[in-house]
Formats: sequence, C-alpha cells, structure tokens
Amino acid sequence: MPPSTDLLQGTLDLLILQTLALGQMHGWGVAQRIQQVSKDVLQIGQGSLYPALHRLEYKGWIQADWGNSENNRRAKFYSLTATGRRQLDAELETWERLSSAIGLVLSRVPEASA
Amino acid sequence: MIDEWLTRMRFLFSRRKPADLDDELQFHLERSTAANIAAGMAPDEARRRALIDFGGVERAREQSFEQRPGWWLGTVAQDVRYALRGFRRNPVFTVTVIATLALGIGATTAVFSVVDRILFRSLPYAHDDRLVSFGLVQSLERQEFTLGGFLFEWRDSQKPFESVTYEGGTTECNLTEASPVHLQCAQVAQNFLPTLGVVPIMGRNFLSEEDRPNGPKVVLISDGLWQSRYNRDPGVLSTTIQIDDHAVRIVGVLPRDFEMPRLQQTDILRPAAVDVAAQQKVNSGIGQPLWAFARLKPGVSVREAKAEMEPLFLHTQQWIPPQIRKDFHLQVRSLRDRQMQEAYTVAWVLLGAVLAVLLIACANVASLFSARGAARERELAVRSALGASRGRLIRQTLTEAFLLAVAGAALGCALAEILLRVFIAIAPTGVPFLSTAQLDLRIVLFAVLVSLLCAALFGILPALEKPRAAALVGRLPASGAHARLRRVLVAAQIAICMVLLSGASLLVKSFWNLEQQNLGMQTRDVLTVHVPLNREHYPTGYLNFYLRAEAAFGRLPGVTAVGMSDSVPPDADSWHDGTRYSELMVVGRQPTPSGVGGTVVSRIVTPGYFQALRIPIVEGAGFTQEERKSNGRFMILSKELAARLFPQGAAIGQHIEHAQFQPNFVPGPIYTVVGVAGNVKNAGLAGQDDPELYELGTDTPDTWGRHHVFLLATSLPASIVAPWVRAQVAQLDPTAPVEIETLSQTVSKLADRPRFETALLGFFALCGLAMAVIGLYGVIAFVAAQRTQEIGVRMALGATRLDILRLIAGQGVRLIVLGGVVGLGAALVLARLLKSLLYNVGPHDPAIYAAVALLLALVALAATLIPARAAMKVEPVEALRYE
Repeated sequence: MPPSTDLLQGTLDLLILQTLALGQMHGWGVAQRIQQVSKDVLQIGQGSLYPALHRLEYKGWIQADWGNSENNRRAKFYSLTATGRRQLDAELETWERLSSAIGLVLSRVPEASA
Repeated sequence: MIDEWLTRMRFLFSRRKPADLDDELQFHLERSTAANIAAGMAPDEARRRALIDFGGVERAREQSFEQRPGWWLGTVAQDVRYALRGFRRNPVFTVTVIATLALGIGATTAVFSVVDRILFRSLPYAHDDRLVSFGLVQSLERQEFTLGGFLFEWRDSQKPFESVTYEGGTTECNLTEASPVHLQCAQVAQNFLPTLGVVPIMGRNFLSEEDRPNGPKVVLISDGLWQSRYNRDPGVLSTTIQIDDHAVRIVGVLPRDFEMPRLQQTDILRPAAVDVAAQQKVNSGIGQPLWAFARLKPGVSVREAKAEMEPLFLHTQQWIPPQIRKDFHLQVRSLRDRQMQEAYTVAWVLLGAVLAVLLIACANVASLFSARGAARERELAVRSALGASRGRLIRQTLTEAFLLAVAGAALGCALAEILLRVFIAIAPTGVPFLSTAQLDLRIVLFAVLVSLLCAALFGILPALEKPRAAALVGRLPASGAHARLRRVLVAAQIAICMVLLSGASLLVKSFWNLEQQNLGMQTRDVLTVHVPLNREHYPTGYLNFYLRAEAAFGRLPGVTAVGMSDSVPPDADSWHDGTRYSELMVVGRQPTPSGVGGTVVSRIVTPGYFQALRIPIVEGAGFTQEERKSNGRFMILSKELAARLFPQGAAIGQHIEHAQFQPNFVPGPIYTVVGVAGNVKNAGLAGQDDPELYELGTDTPDTWGRHHVFLLATSLPASIVAPWVRAQVAQLDPTAPVEIETLSQTVSKLADRPRFETALLGFFALCGLAMAVIGLYGVIAFVAAQRTQEIGVRMALGATRLDILRLIAGQGVRLIVLGGVVGLGAALVLARLLKSLLYNVGPHDPAIYAAVALLLALVALAATLIPARAAMKVEPVEALRYE
C-alpha cells in the first residue's frame, strides 16, 4: 500500500475545486484525478467525496448536469461556476499563506533546538 | 454572499429525486468495478474491492442528503411531531406544565403592567427627571406647599433651578351655557406649561399680560373637554364661553396625556393672575397658598437643590411666628416622588410577590422537566444507540420546551388580560394610573423568555449527559444528581411559598382589623348629601338654603335625624379642619407651650350631627336648637381631648379660647364646653386618631359654605330616600347638583386600597401554594413510581406497609421541614417591608406565622401522603415484575 495522508479538514473542498477547474468531470473522475495527480499520496475517502460535492453544489460553487459518460452511461457531471472560481482563487491564496507560514515554523524548529 | 443565498433558496424549493443520488453512487461503483476488472481482478472480487474502497455507501448517501439546505427544517418538523406525540401520551405532564407556565406568565405580566406604570413610567413632561416639587411641610400638611408671601422672594433669589412655576390649586367651576356642566378649573402661572415642557396641541400658552390681575380672561381647555363638549372642532379656538357667568376666550387645547403635577382632575387652565405686590397683605399677610414646581438646572441633584434652598428657607422661617416655627420644614423632592407617595411600597410588594410566583412556576417547570428527563433516560439511551447525535437529542428537548412555553405563553397572555381587567375593577381610585394600565408586549416577552429559559435549562440537563449504556437495561434508578436537583427545587418552592403566604396572611389580618374596628359611630343607614351650590346664585351666603333644606329633609318619611357638618369622619383629609393642640387655651390657665401636643381635628356641626351618626354624648349634653339660635359659642370635646385638657374631669362648663397663630397670635373666640362625646375615627381608617372637638355651627351666614354636608339617618333604604332628597333640593334650587352617597360607601372606599393589596397578595399566595403543592406531589409521586421495584423487594424481604409509608413520606417531610424553616427565616426578614401597610398587627405576629406554617405543613403533607399511600398499597408481586 502506498503511504496515505489524512486530509486536513476543509482541504477536500479546495482539492475538488482545483480539480474541477480543469474541466467538467463526474465524481469518480474527481476521485481518480486527485489520486493520480498526488501520485497516490492523497487517497481521499471516496465515501466522503459525495457529501462534499453536494455541499459545494448547494453553495453554488459548482454546478451539476446529467450527461453521458465515455461508455454511454448516464452520469452526473460537475463543473466550476463563476462563484466557485472566485472562491478557488481566494482559497488558494489562503492556502499559500498558511503553508508558507507552517513551512517557516517547521524549518525554524530544528535550529532553535540545535 | 447574495448569490450563495439565492442558490440555497432555489434548492430549498426545488425537490430533487433521491433516486438521482442512488444513480450517481451506482455509477461510481460501476466505474470502480470496471477499473478493477481492467486491472485483472475477477468480477466478484472487483466489485467487492470497489465497495471496500468506497467505504459505507449508505453513510455516504445519508451524508450527501443532509447537505441539502432545508434538511434541518425537516428534522425540526420531525422533532415537533415527535414532541406532540409525546405530549399526547403524557397529558398530565403536558397540562401541568402549560397550566403552571400560563399562571406564572399571566400573573407576572398583569402585575408588571400595573407596577410598570407606577414605578417606571415616564411622566408626561419633557425631561421629567429634572422636575421637582418644593415648599414647606408641617404637621398639619405633609405635602409641600408654598405661600405667596415668600414664594416670589424664593423664585427671584434661588439658584438651583432653571425655572420656577406654580399653580394656585383647582376649584370647581361651572360652564354656565346651555346644558351647564360642572368642571374643575386650575389656576396656573404663565410659565407653568413651559416649565413642565408641555406644548398645547392647538393654539397657544398664556401670554404674560394675561397672567396679571384684571388681565384678559382666557383659558386653555383639556383634550377631554374639547372632545366631549366641542367634538374636536378646531373652530373652538378664539370662541368665547361662559365660565361661572363670566365670558372667557379659549386660546388653546392641552395635549391628551396632560395632567396636573399634583394629579388633580382638571378640565380648564386659567392664568393664576397672582397680584405679587398684594401678597404681603392678603390672607392675613402670608399670601395665598400656591404649589410650586421647578426644573433643575442640568447637573444639579435634588439633594443639592435642597441644600441651596436652605438659606432662603431659614430666612422665611424668621417670619413664621416663633410658637410654631419649629413645626415647619423645607421639602424638595422629585415630582415623581410627590405623585407616587405610598404607591411605591405597594408596587414593590406586588412586584416582589409576582416575582416569587414566577420563581415557583419556574422551579415547577424545571422539576417537571427534570423528572420527565429522568424517566426518559432509557428512551434517550435507545435513540442514542440507534444513531441520534447528542445535538439532535438536545434539540429534541429544546423543541419540547419551546412548544410548551409557546402554549403556556398564549394562555398566559389571555389570563393576564383577564387579571388586568379584574385588577382595574377592584382597584381603589387612589392608585395612580391604574385605570390606564395595559398589557405591555415587552413584559409578555420577558415572562415568556424567563419561563422558556427555565424549561430549556432544566430540560437539557438530562440530555447533556451521555446516556449510559446501563440506562438501556432500565433496571437502575434515575441518576442521583437530578433527584437531588429536584429535591432542592421543591424545598425552594416551599420556602418561597412560606414567604408569600405569611405576607398575604399579615395583610389579611390587617385588613380584617381595619374592617372590624369600631369607628365610634354608626355608618349603616346614613346618607351623606353634598350640594355644591353655584356661588353666583348666592351672593348673600348659603345659610338660607341650608336651613330650608335641613327642614325639608327632616320632614321626609323615613328620615330619623338630620345633621350638618363641614366634613365627615373618618376622612383623613384634615388640613382644612386641623387645629394645633396648643391653640386651645383653657381660660384661667397657663397656655400649653407651643408646638407640643400635636394636632386636633375640629368640625363645625349642628345638634343633629350626633343623632345622625349616633355618636354617644358621654358627659354633659349635646348641642340644643336653642344654643344654635343664640349668639353664644359652644363646644363639645371628644373623650380623648377632654381627658387631655382636663385630666381631673369636670370639663363641662369650662371656657376654651380657640386662638390662631396665622401668622401672628390672633386671639380667638371663647367657647363654653357643654358636653363630651365618644371618640370617633378621624384620621382615615388606618391613621393614628387625633383628639377631636366639635364647634356648634350657629345660624349665621358665614358659618355655612358650599362644601358642607348633610347627614341623614334613615329607616328606609337609601334607594328610596335618595330620589326624595333630590326632589326636595330641586324645589329649592333647580340648578343645584346633588351628590348622594351612603356613609358605608364612603367608609368602604377608604378601605379600597388595603382591600386591593390584600386581594392581590392573597391571590399570589394561593397561586404560589397551588404550584408548590403540585411540584411537591409530582416529585414524591415520581420518586414513589421509580422505586416501585425497590418497594417490592423490601416488602418481599419483610418490610411492613407502614415502613414503606415512612420511607416515601419521610423524604417529603424532610423537604417540607427544610423549605419551611428557610422560608420562615426569609419571611421574618422580608415582613419588615410590609410594615407601613399593616394595621394593628406587627410584622412578626407569632400567631400568623404559626398558622401559616401549620397550613403549609398540612397541605404539603397531604401532597406527600397521597403518592406515599399509593406506594404502600403496591402488591409485592406486581412491584417485583414492574419495569
């Protein structure tokens, strides 16, 4: 089994938004995509993907349309709305700030204890 | 933000098929399976793997579903339905809680609405907190007043006030036009309305030139008169009307909520037109009585104002005759204090009582909820085990509390409305503003909130604890913490109840004393007839009318005696009749040192007065008709006064000079004492009686004024005699208004206020008692039911039924004793607050406390014994099977 990391609470929304920014996709696709891109490090619980998708849809950040999949099966496709795009930008910015701050703290700790 | 909200609203109203969600999840699993097959797994294994990777499908479905906006609302509806089902299953709990809440909310709201007007209402003047009333007080008049002789000097040299104004009192006046009406006219200074911050709703205030002697005759009329007489016709301005046969012009209309600072009923304001220069001459040089009001400068307190006025007062004091100088004091107090007087005490007592009732109600609701919570521990545990979250359980309880509070509040409001009407109906006229009290929405809200808080707080306590797995088994007694809480609540209820009951009993005893006391005269079958004659029609005095009326009344069938007097006992308003003891000087004896001896009530009466009121003459004789027609001056003393003036007896035949210090020593007429009469109540029903003297009213024109009263003793009912009396007066003067009242009515009116206080406090005490008893019964019954199984075991092991009774009742008795003792202590402390309301009974009357404690103990014991007896009768076999 590849090593997996628990997802930070709230990060899942960001990942979904970022994935959907590439284009329309159904739920299974989103899950696969996140796993592939993160080189199997991030294994999102597939079960928790759907409540998140629905929550984002109800918030109006993504929208869902029924269409046909590659093998002609009826499937629900999600895509980013304009609000969602704005939200993604805002969250990315927050994430940058947060991760660089954490990075700073973590890189300083060994120095302090040394 | 708005976009997001709109999206949510759209989803809220568009229903989605749950099948879509299933479809979506199904699709995911198919793709996963296909991917696994592609990776080389067998189809069965591939599907199994896909399901494992996905995690709980059902859980994902539920969680997705819960994301839906409005899902929450759906669960609230569920909670409500569940709660209603629960209430239906347990009607006793439901009805008790709702009734308790309704009573608590209703009583609190009604009383608060009344008290609010008295304690917290703002006066209808601009910045009313800066208005004060000031003047002199003395033993004959405890409400501050001023005199023209010094008020203007004070006004011109004072520093603490922004402006000083005055009114010259209210007099009767008649609108003498077609269909004449009897009105009240107040005389006020030109700056009266501006100082109070009152602006006429139409027209203007008086001008300075109108507030001078012989100035233009103008008036302001009240909104009530404008409505009733002129139908709100704007053309009323500048019209001329006839007041007491003088033409006056209306220049303005007062606001609807206008009231005189001393709260006299007023229909018309006239300029006082005080001749300032003449004040040193009129009324034997002291000036006319005026009532002064002032607006404090910003930042000046009432206390500071009083200190600043003190030098002016000291200066004026020099001018009061030394004999009575010490009797006068300066008084400066806020207008509100002057208006409310003793209503403050009543208001606070009522407020305290009603808060106590609310407390009991809350404790009751809390213990009911707590008991129910304990009984439902198992149910909660089951629901929790089936997956209900803690939040959901708490919300469920809150929903129940909220539903009950809403129902209780609705009933409570209806009850409050009824109670308020009852209060207004039984209230004495003396309680200011009561008749205008209405339900206040803020207060309703407050009461509802308090009860909701009680219910919620105690309702969620059981839900807050994580249901114990053991509770599922249901073989354990309820958790100890809640049981202790309920017992504390019951003890507290009993304590509060004790306070309420003892307060109410003190008032009842006091009222009983008041009603049963010996007035010293007969009030049954006595009519008082007052004929306020029109002054203009009697330029030479009223004597002729009084004599002819007296004779005419005497000829009426059923009238056994006719007396006349300038006032009627036991009226407390003794200012006009007041005399100082030191003003009575026995001829041939050293005068009593001034300022000692207090006050004496004096009345001018005819010989028939004593017969009409059946006041016994205990020594000497009553007045005779011969004495009345003679030129002599005769006096009858009350027993008390005779004993003080002539401790050795032998009052008859002595001569007494009735001197006056107004403002200098004025030698008075000398009277011959002809008799001593029994003591009669003369300072109101509850007041400390003063000694009394009767002067014979002789047949001279200046003896009889238009406010004098006829007293008719009758052998026929008042309803028969009254029309005859009216007919007799109409024959003498068709325009004269006649006011007839029975003396018992007059006396009963004096008892209105204590009756009101007693009725209200009694009502609250009974409410409190009822609720506390319900609470006690509930808790004991609950405990007994919970311990049924234990009782069965005990009996199986050989406990007798008496042991069981002792076991269950013992718990109740401990609560009663604890609550009772605490309550008794609190009651003894708090009773002192009632002192000023009590008559002839001390605040710590031992009999009252003993009776109350006994009553409470008996009722509470009964509430304990009923469930305890039920527990005693339990069949051991059944009890053992009980679950």
